[in-house]
Formats: sequence, C-alpha cells, structure tokens
Amino acid sequence: MDPTLALHVVKNGLLIGGIYGGVALGLSLIFGVMRIINFAHGSMLMVAMYLAWGLWAGLGLHPYIGAIITVPALFGLGYLVQACIISHLFRREKAFVVEPLSALLLTAGVFLVMDNLVLMIFGPDVRAVSIDLAYANFFLGDIPINIPRFIAFVSAIGVAGVLSWWLKTSDMGRAIRATAQNRDAATMVGINVPLVYNITFGLGTAILGLFGALLVPFFSVTPTLGLAFGIKSFVVVVLGGIGSIWGCVVGGIVLGLFEAFASQFVTATSAQIFSFGLFVVILLVRPSGLLGKA
Amino acid sequence: MSNKALEVTNLSAGYGENDVLQGIDLTIPPKSITALIGANGAGKTTFLKTVTGLLPGRTGSIKLFGEELTSKKPYKIAEAGFALSPEGKQLFPEMTVEENLIVGAHNVRARSARNQTLEEVYSLFSILKEKRNDPAASLSGGQQQMVAVGRALMAKPKVLALDEPSLGLAPIMVDRLFESIARIRELDLAILIIEQNVFQVLEMADYGYVLENGEVTISGTGSELLANDHLKRAYLGL
Repeated sequence: MDPTLALHVVKNGLLIGGIYGGVALGLSLIFGVMRIINFAHGSMLMVAMYLAWGLWAGLGLHPYIGAIITVPALFGLGYLVQACIISHLFRREKAFVVEPLSALLLTAGVFLVMDNLVLMIFGPDVRAVSIDLAYANFFLGDIPINIPRFIAFVSAIGVAGVLSWWLKTSDMGRAIRATAQNRDAATMVGINVPLVYNITFGLGTAILGLFGALLVPFFSVTPTLGLAFGIKSFVVVVLGGIGSIWGCVVGGIVLGLFEAFASQFVTATSAQIFSFGLFVVILLVRPSGLLGKA
Repeated sequence: MSNKALEVTNLSAGYGENDVLQGIDLTIPPKSITALIGANGAGKTTFLKTVTGLLPGRTGSIKLFGEELTSKKPYKIAEAGFALSPEGKQLFPEMTVEENLIVGAHNVRARSARNQTLEEVYSLFSILKEKRNDPAASLSGGQQQMVAVGRALMAKPKVLALDEPSLGLAPIMVDRLFESIARIRELDLAILIIEQNVFQVLEMADYGYVLENGEVTISGTGSELLANDHLKRAYLGL
C-alpha cells in the first residue's frame, strides 16, 4: 500500500475508532455495573441524534450548543428506562445477578418501541444537519483532519478519562464500583443500590446524548441507524474487555483501524464482515478482551 | 433516648412459605457486648439479614434507640446506625483496603467524620494502614476480616453486628480479633456478635441469647450462660 494512502487510512481508522469507543462507553459502564446488555443502546444514540437535529432544525441551535440539552435529556431517558422498566427485573429476581436473557429481551423491547416510535413521528427520511464546520479541516503535515470528527475523537478520550477519574475519586463513583463488585455488600454498607443503578444507567445514556450532538454534523440520521451502532458498541465492549473504560477506547480504535484498512480492499459493507471475523479471532485468543482481566 | 440500643419484639421472617424466625424477642443494652449463639440453621444469619433490611420481616418490630427500623430500606437502616460485618466478609475485592473502608462511611451521618473514623480504624488494626493501597482480595483471611469489621465501624454505627468474625481464621488470628473486639467496646457502642467459638465469646459477652429453631430458648448474662447445663452439653461439649 502507498505510504501516503496508508497514513490517510490510519487517520480515518483512528478517528472513527475513537468515536466507536466513545459511543460504547455507556454500554460498557452499564454492563460492568449491572450485568445488563442494553440492546437499546444504539437506539438511544439515534434518539440523541434526532434531538440534536431537531434543536438545530427547529431552534437553529448549533449541535455543540444543543448538547447542553441532549446530555441531560438522555440522562433522564436512561434513568427513567431503568427506574420504570428494568428495575422490575431486579425486584423480581433476588439473585445476585439478573438473568442476562430477560434483561436482554426487555431492552430489545425498548429498542423496538423506540425505533418504531421515531419512524412513526419522523418517517424513514434521512435528516442531516448542515453547518459549515462539517467540511472544515486542519492539516497535520500533509494530512487533512476533519475538525468535527477530531472533536468527537478527542471528546471520546476526554469522557473516558473523566469517567474513570470520577469513578475512582467521587463518593458516587466509589458507590457505583462497590455495587458492581458486590451488590449485597453494597446494600449492607448503606448504599442505595436501586438509586445507584438508576444513576449508572442515566450516566451511560448521557454519554450518548453528548455523542449524538457530536455526530450529527458529519453523520446523517435515520430511524434505523441505532442497530448498527448498537452491535458495533457491543463488539467494542467485548473486544476491549467488559467493564473496562480504557479497554473500550482501545477496542473502538482496533475496530476502526481494521475497518478502515479492510475497506481499502473490499467495499465498506463487506469490510464489516471482516471486522466481525476479527472479533471472533481476538476472542479466541483473548476471551476476556484486550484489556479485560483473565 | 431509649435505654435499649436494639429492641426486637416478636420478629418473624423467612424464605418462601417457611418462617425461619418464629417470634424473636431480643434486647441489647447500650455499651455492651451481646452474644447470639445457635447451631447452624437456627436462624442467626436470617435474623441479621432481617434487621439490616435485606430480608423483609413478617411480623414484629425492630427498634434502634427507640427509632422504628421495621420495613425501612437497608440504606435507611444503615443511616439510622445499624452496621453489619457479614459472614464470609463480603468485601469489594478489586478495591483497595482504604477504598473498602471509605465506602463503609457512605451514609450521610458517617461521611462528615470519615477521615477521623478512618484513623480510629487504622489505630485499631494497624496492619490495615500498612496495606491500605493493596487490593482487598490480596489480603489474608484474618486481615480481610479486619477490613470487614473496620468497614462496619466506618459507618459510625450505634449498634455493630459481627456475623461469625472468627470463621475460617487461624487460632492466633481469632485471639487477636477478640482482643480488637474488646477494644471496640470502649468506643461506646453496642455490639451484637454471632459466634461458633461459644466459650470464648461468652467469656467476653455481657449478655447472651441462645437461638434454636428460630426461637430464643435461653437468655441471660454471659456467666449465667456459661454455667447453664443445657448449653454446656449442647455447645461446649462438656
């Protein structure tokens, strides 16, 4: 491969990979703490993107300013989905771990409802935010770097850093980690475990609120975009090691780079086949993920 | 202020259709050590689970210095001042020793005094200060038990319950642990201790209750129980 082309491919892979990692952070957090795979994860990103688009189309708000609304809105959405829907599973099953299958089916139901509600309201049309920034580049040597993608990439790393720092040092962060490691003991030391679950879920989806706003400048929105992002996020989380924040970023970048290289040789759609192949191979070699604990 | 640290009346609780506890009456005075003794399956751990709120009680009431705890949420009970060092330690394995202790002071009442309580716990168990930055899972069984007791103390409890603190420990560690418990009593709180080491715990305890098939069958001061014939035969093997 031509070296200049290779550099471009690496750049594209890194940028999109970091974004994959950032989008997957919430899925990893929720799975790490609650052992729930949120099947509706991608759909919540889709809702966040519609919201960011709506704020731009309706009120003329720049998506980056719209994030002031999308982040708390998605926190609220996640909090409510957990408090009103998923929490019943925890109440029903006194066991230490919720039956993964029932949680998966329940969140799959949430996914179907959300996708179809959005389809009902907005129709199947593709919506896009058009702002000048979408085409702005800066140059790193000879390589043009698209500014909104770069901002999303940097945000992914920033969010991962802030999240792991917050989990390590704040009282709520410690309570979240304690609940993840031993739910019964957390209850006994006086942690309000149902509240911790609500907040964890809300946080996981609040991150989607941010990325919804960061993605719309260069990613058009359709009601069905959620599933693809959801599956990719799942791959990223498992690749990086379940529950590991930095593993999530690494997993995202590995997937992004691989896709970028594969799409040089086959069409972008077929490249995805190879990225799932890579997924299987990595899991055969390291079943606990790249940064996961064995 | 009531002169009863913990007052349990007619408490029953259980799993499924069976009542494990069948109308327990038990009182713990302030600044005392009370022992709860019983064979496996007598309902000791179920009793503690019910008081902490992990298991809902079916009848009866639980009061802590006169404050009603019955049917409160577990975190409210911790806030009211009941802390448990559970059987089998139940630490947060991937957190450091110090993080385990800090999480113990999660309730609002304990949080403001956290650093001071932490120093108290470190002076009680000096080895924990040495190992403060090690993951809890890397400690020996005896040290982990100290973390569990220390974590319960971090909650600034008015009543501290210790469920089988000597379980699985080497005899020398058991002795050390009992020394520490004797020193905890100076901290001006009521201790409820469940133990298999019946002789050792009754020597230290002010009061004792014997639980059999979910009912209190014998109660009295520590020395009375030590002299009780039934108890000698059943638990002390004399």
